[in-house]
Amino acid sequence: MSDGLVKILDGNTFVVSDERGDIEASLTDPTGLFSFDTRFLSRWVLTIDGERLNSLSVDDLQYFAARFFLVPGTGTVYVDSKLSVIRQREVGGGFQEQLTILNHDTKPARLTVRVGAGCDFADLFEVKDALAKKGSYYARAAKGGLVLGYERDTFKRETQISASSTAKADENGLTFTVKLEPHGSWETRLNVATVLSSHEVGGAVIVAKRRSWASMERGLQRWVEQAPRVECKWEPLRSTYRRSLVDLAALRFSPPVAGGKSLPAAGLPWFMTMFGRDSIFTSLQALPFTPELAATTLRVLGSWQGSGLDDFRDEDPGRILHEMRYGEMTAFEERPHSPYYGSVDATPLYVVLLDEYERWTGDRKLVRDLEHEARAALAWIDTYADLQGNGYIWYRRRNETSGLENQCWKDSWDSISYRDGRLPGFPRATCELQGYAYDAKVRGARLARVVWKDLELADRLEREAADLKRRFNRDFWVEEDEYFALALDTDGKQVDALSSNNGHLLWSGIVDKSKAKAVARHLLGPRLFSGWGVRTLAEGEARYNPIGYHVGTVWPFDNSFIAWGLRNYDFKEEAARIAAGILDAAEFFDGRLPEAFGGYERNVTKYPVQYPTACSPQAWSTGTPLLLLRTMLGLNPQGEYLVVDPALPATIGQLELLDIPGRWGRIDAFGRGRVEVRP
Amino acid sequence: MTSKDAIARFFDELAARGHEPLLGNATGTVRFNVVSGTRTERWAVTVRKGDIEVSGGDVTPDLVIRADRSLLERIVGGKANAMAALLRGELAIDGDSELLVLMQRLFPRPRGPRATTRAGYARRQR
Repeated sequence: MSDGLVKILDGNTFVVSDERGDIEASLTDPTGLFSFDTRFLSRWVLTIDGERLNSLSVDDLQYFAARFFLVPGTGTVYVDSKLSVIRQREVGGGFQEQLTILNHDTKPARLTVRVGAGCDFADLFEVKDALAKKGSYYARAAKGGLVLGYERDTFKRETQISASSTAKADENGLTFTVKLEPHGSWETRLNVATVLSSHEVGGAVIVAKRRSWASMERGLQRWVEQAPRVECKWEPLRSTYRRSLVDLAALRFSPPVAGGKSLPAAGLPWFMTMFGRDSIFTSLQALPFTPELAATTLRVLGSWQGSGLDDFRDEDPGRILHEMRYGEMTAFEERPHSPYYGSVDATPLYVVLLDEYERWTGDRKLVRDLEHEARAALAWIDTYADLQGNGYIWYRRRNETSGLENQCWKDSWDSISYRDGRLPGFPRATCELQGYAYDAKVRGARLARVVWKDLELADRLEREAADLKRRFNRDFWVEEDEYFALALDTDGKQVDALSSNNGHLLWSGIVDKSKAKAVARHLLGPRLFSGWGVRTLAEGEARYNPIGYHVGTVWPFDNSFIAWGLRNYDFKEEAARIAAGILDAAEFFDGRLPEAFGGYERNVTKYPVQYPTACSPQAWSTGTPLLLLRTMLGLNPQGEYLVVDPALPATIGQLELLDIPGRWGRIDAFGRGRVEVRP
Repeated sequence: MTSKDAIARFFDELAARGHEPLLGNATGTVRFNVVSGTRTERWAVTVRKGDIEVSGGDVTPDLVIRADRSLLERIVGGKANAMAALLRGELAIDGDSELLVLMQRLFPRPRGPRATTRAGYARRQR
């Protein structure tokens, strides 16, 4: 891999090592074995006769397994070894490692093999913010094994290391004395188990389930087989699609309360947990491919829906959670993530997903089961979210020490600015939130009419949606330049920067038809469109920076929803241009789109520049090619049918998407590329 | 008021509620094992689509929640968060953990000043 790191993962457990398979983490770098937001190994170093090994090659066998081919001696120009070493590692309830040593010599060999181990038990938040630990460590060497532990009051985390062959254990690792026959081999199996336990009440707090290689492989195969097939002459699209499906499988995460079902974790390495917003967006992207992700997301987020007022967690009744964490800082309430509710888009988007899910699957039972949750979400929009009492969604955190300032998807500190770079005060009402609220009301009205049979609610929601749309098109429209302002400030003045948020407004349907053309022109215009995709903030704005997290980079996920929005207003060619740009970029990243990449002009850099600390794989980037397939083919459920209305970039040629699941059973869609998109 | 009252009153109020719409999707029995020293007190809450019944604990539970009396007092008094306590290892569970998430809806929240203002505000918006 490009950064010299080898990553394997399964849900929220992952291992990041160097190309030798070794781990030597400092406090601030996210390498090691992590599970439930805690590092369970920060040191894991293999030596033979005291010497480090040299990597010849690494095979990514599966998303959950890797194999390292090594030889003794650290990399000089020439390696001529009589020994080969193979480390094969698979993640799951910790990890297992098969260590094999082959003797190529005609003479026997006697070796001292050592696996050095250590752990700082850092909470991922501590890694991110370089914070010191408060508890105490212990290490116990027992016969053939080593236990590393950390405790603080009732909090206890342990790493249990054992081997299948005889080892001499000490507090810093395991040592094996190995005798090799001429051309002989030796092997051992190392098991590293993660334990989250408590000594006050006994028993495990959370049990991380371990599945066998075979069962994980079968699971992956089933996952890929059940998804629709892509037939296309343009090979990069086929491999990007395959990569997306596998990465989505890898990011599947069964939170302890999902009854064994899984939803997408947000992204490696920082966000391997449940996020309201990310899970909803990814489920929307994947609906035509793997609708069961949406069902689990809706159920789990519904179970966790806010039901009281808690300032520390920014919780309100009806609010959908932002982020759940399981680490030490959350346990001791030094962070509010148990769960934290500080997002204002997840709640309206919850209703949007519920409706879109029903339109695809026809699963009315789930819509009936979640009626209470959906009504509570709709009520939240008009009450707790309307901080200024003027019919818009606003946000201002109540937890001022560890809560989030910006509670929209662009959640970095400087993401919301005026053209001249000033930052508005709080509360803030960003534009896309109003679009989501509008969409939630329109879709909530449909569910009320069709499923809940509450015509009064349906009428009221439709009236409110129409009123919101009218006010929004008046209050947010920047008349002279013809686009929607990024936000309103507390005085009701426009926060007037030009941003990609305009695309989400098209997606939500809140934009007046008469204004849509100007909006589309901006999205594909030189200030926003880089040639690869739409920048988060337009070139020319004071805070524009092509490698600024939310102020100039291109986010693949953002673009997939912009393409959907353009299709909703019948801008087929514009949507195809965005799809073409993002899919071209995907080719440069071997089919795995990162969270974000630089906003540099395509004609200048010729290749997309990765954002320095971007997460990869990232769930909603992984979902992006899926949604782009949908927008290119123009897939849209209408009653019991699936409408297909393709508008494909000419570069793609013929495209077939076969066995699309939905209320119609399985159906195929075809399209031929006719849109000329070359910049 | 003695500490025993806080927990007993919580369960009494729960029993008196009869139906709780927040638990409309929940069905199952949760048993609380409340530990003080060597003694364990038991309470069982059975929910059927929001209908609540409280009994003395002689039922087969889908979930057992075990906690020290002092912790449960803080939880039912809105001073401790059950999920954080679980992560800390101060509270233990055995069984269907989703029921714990749903039970959390019944526990009061710490009453911060902003929360109080917000509650009043939200009422006026309706």
